[in-house]
Amino acid sequence: MSFENGTPSTAWRRFRDSYFLYRLQRDRRAQVCLLLFGLLMVGLLLTPWIAPSNPYDLAQISLLDSELPPFWVAGSEPGHLLGTDAQGRDLLSTMLYGARVSLAIGFGAVLVQSLLGTALGLLAGYRGGVVDALLMRVADIQLSFSTLMMAIIVGAVVKAAFGGAFYGEYGIAILITIIGLSEWPQYARTVRASVLAEKRKDYVDAARVLGFSGHRIMWRHILPNTLSPILVLSTVQIANAIMAEAALSFLGLGMPETEPSLGSLIKSGFDYLQSGSWWITLLPGLLLVMLVLVVNLLGDWLRDTMNPRLYKG
Amino acid sequence: MRLTTFMLGLLVGGLLMPLLTETSLADDRPITLRVAYDTDPVSLDIQEQLSIGMLQLSHLAFDPLVRWSRELDFEPRLATRWERLDDTTVRFHLRHGVTFHSGNAFTARDVVWTLHRLQRSPDFRAIFAPITRVEAVDAFTVDLHTRQPYPLLLNLATYIFPMDSRFYSGTSARGRDKSEIVKNGNSFASSHLSGTGPFEVVKRQPGARIEFERFPDYWDTDSPGNVDRLVMTPIAENATRVAALLAGDVDFISPVPFNAVQRLRHAEGIELVTMPGTRITMLQLNEQRVAAFRDRRVRLAFTYAVNQTAIAERLLKGFATPAAQMSPQGYAGHVPTLTPRHDLARARALMREAGYGDGFTVTLMAPNNRYVNDAQTAQVALAIAAMLAKINVTVEFETLPKNQYWAEYDNRAADMMMMGWYSDTGDSANFFEYLTFCPDADTGAGRYNASEYCNPRIDALVERANLTTQPAARARLLQQAEQEIHDQAPFIPLYWQNLAWAATDRVDIAPVLNVMNMPYLGDVVVHPR
Repeated sequence: MSFENGTPSTAWRRFRDSYFLYRLQRDRRAQVCLLLFGLLMVGLLLTPWIAPSNPYDLAQISLLDSELPPFWVAGSEPGHLLGTDAQGRDLLSTMLYGARVSLAIGFGAVLVQSLLGTALGLLAGYRGGVVDALLMRVADIQLSFSTLMMAIIVGAVVKAAFGGAFYGEYGIAILITIIGLSEWPQYARTVRASVLAEKRKDYVDAARVLGFSGHRIMWRHILPNTLSPILVLSTVQIANAIMAEAALSFLGLGMPETEPSLGSLIKSGFDYLQSGSWWITLLPGLLLVMLVLVVNLLGDWLRDTMNPRLYKG
Repeated sequence: MRLTTFMLGLLVGGLLMPLLTETSLADDRPITLRVAYDTDPVSLDIQEQLSIGMLQLSHLAFDPLVRWSRELDFEPRLATRWERLDDTTVRFHLRHGVTFHSGNAFTARDVVWTLHRLQRSPDFRAIFAPITRVEAVDAFTVDLHTRQPYPLLLNLATYIFPMDSRFYSGTSARGRDKSEIVKNGNSFASSHLSGTGPFEVVKRQPGARIEFERFPDYWDTDSPGNVDRLVMTPIAENATRVAALLAGDVDFISPVPFNAVQRLRHAEGIELVTMPGTRITMLQLNEQRVAAFRDRRVRLAFTYAVNQTAIAERLLKGFATPAAQMSPQGYAGHVPTLTPRHDLARARALMREAGYGDGFTVTLMAPNNRYVNDAQTAQVALAIAAMLAKINVTVEFETLPKNQYWAEYDNRAADMMMMGWYSDTGDSANFFEYLTFCPDADTGAGRYNASEYCNPRIDALVERANLTTQPAARARLLQQAEQEIHDQAPFIPLYWQNLAWAATDRVDIAPVLNVMNMPYLGDVVVHPR
């Protein structure tokens, strides 16, 4: 704290003194989750350099290496730590690359959802009246369809209209759009609720009296005060999006066979479960569970931490 | 899914319960065989529909003139022997002392009557078109005349199941002609049956079950078959059929789904029989779309790059036989010396020689949903893409559901297309006619030749074979054609999908099974418990 030994920036100081860090230091569960999440993120960012092989490069795959077990089972080969899948792809590499795809879809979809949902929620909450009624009815209709059903319909239409090759090429982008578009009402609802509560507060009136435009009040004054529910919702939604992608891929509507995500990897291994090659399905399955669990637990913790009623009370 | 399967299992179990209690009462109880096929025969009129289900019924309640043996030879049934009188006539000598279920005696008249009815049947008419005249020489001799020399007359005779002409003649109670064939209708023949076969129909509930009893006056007293009572229950759902067998609700199931093979192989008290099937799966290289495929060296390089043995053994778990030609073993055109020729170094050298050392990009389409015994074609296609990557060929890979796939196939929408073909006639020529003949929209030749490869020499060989009635000479011609295809490599043969059946181990099924998928259940032996 002293100015003599270096000058810690104010941001760092604010962080060090924050309630956030205080809670983190006292919550073992959150620490473990954060550590695991950090490790996963680093691993996935560095995948192209740390993965033993590139499963997307077909020239590196040999069918003769197929279905090798992981290292603790007899018959394994040292080159393949977690064994290989039915095509002879190194399972560790395929899982890493697959998790990258899953996570990219998770983050991407949440970005689409939150941008769309927040904008529409703000608008609905602030403007009220016809705009509100209209937007919320649209959201109601959207919510009455399950995400999976929406995704299946849109996916099938895109496949029929542009062909499977197109779908294969832009698989990630299409999945992000599909999952993003079908989940925006979650955000819109949350943001609208916060806005309704915020807009009656004095600071909004003050801003209005000062003559600021509605646009500015919405984005610069109200939005920052609704950010914490958005943040919490995002963690839940990332986990949901990853699950939705896995489910779609498992049904054969997600990522193509040549670029497997965790979901399609689980699916392709599923046929081999009966024949004894359990690892092809089980290991990616475990990674998926871990990924979703860690993100969910972090989100949970974040919600508790950011809930003003909990920490001020 | 699991719940429905379970409930269906319960339902099927419930249906079969009365049967179980019934059989356990009597001491020297009759031997009952409970069979579950995937489909129910739509009718009792065996000439109403040409389908595997109807042919299986035909083998239970009727007998053909000749039938396929396990080695794909012809086995005498109602015809004891046959001779070729000239290029267009074959004489069949019929069995004496055969009676129909109705008690009528079987004579040449019934064969003539049956053939005339076949030629009226909408489904069978086409395959019996080569026969111009049927003539009863005496009570037990029949001559079949064809327009042109026709070498496949015996193959055709496996489809001739003589019907009881006196039983099916006259007017029914409803005032209709008893012999009429009504598709999906209510004709006399669709609900009444009199054949010469080992089993009589006692009771039939369409879609639910058919009960048979052994025909006491069955002519084939040498048959080892000892089943007194046969109950056929259709179970369409694959998993349920397997579960019914494992639970002991049925004794014999067919077909066995691909993904249940491993489980049944290791299941206790279950005998699983697999056989190399006759359905060839291949990858066609379209030379109209890709100029490089017009170069024989490139086609050969592709063939050398693909490792059929690895696909059959690794990916398909040994549930397929690697192929290097179209004709499976036992077919006239099969050349035993043609074996898979995987050789990566050679493939690379050929590509360099042809000037494609750096490779090129091709598209590949394959169907992605699996039918009962259809292998995982999408996985196979992916494995092939990986194999071709090793000769620097980039494969843009797309899999489609089957119904969409056929539309794309007809448009020849990709450079490489996956194709599976089964020869209806049980003969090699059928493969060539549909898969390698120069495509001709008018005659329908080469209808499924997505290689668009055209070699008049091969066409001429097969056409000559089709007019050659000498089996040995004909086989030589077909083998020459097969060899020529092998040398020219217009497509890559991949594998013959195996067939599988399963039964409880007290049923001795292996001897009555064959690659035509017609279990001869009249000859099956069931060991008492």
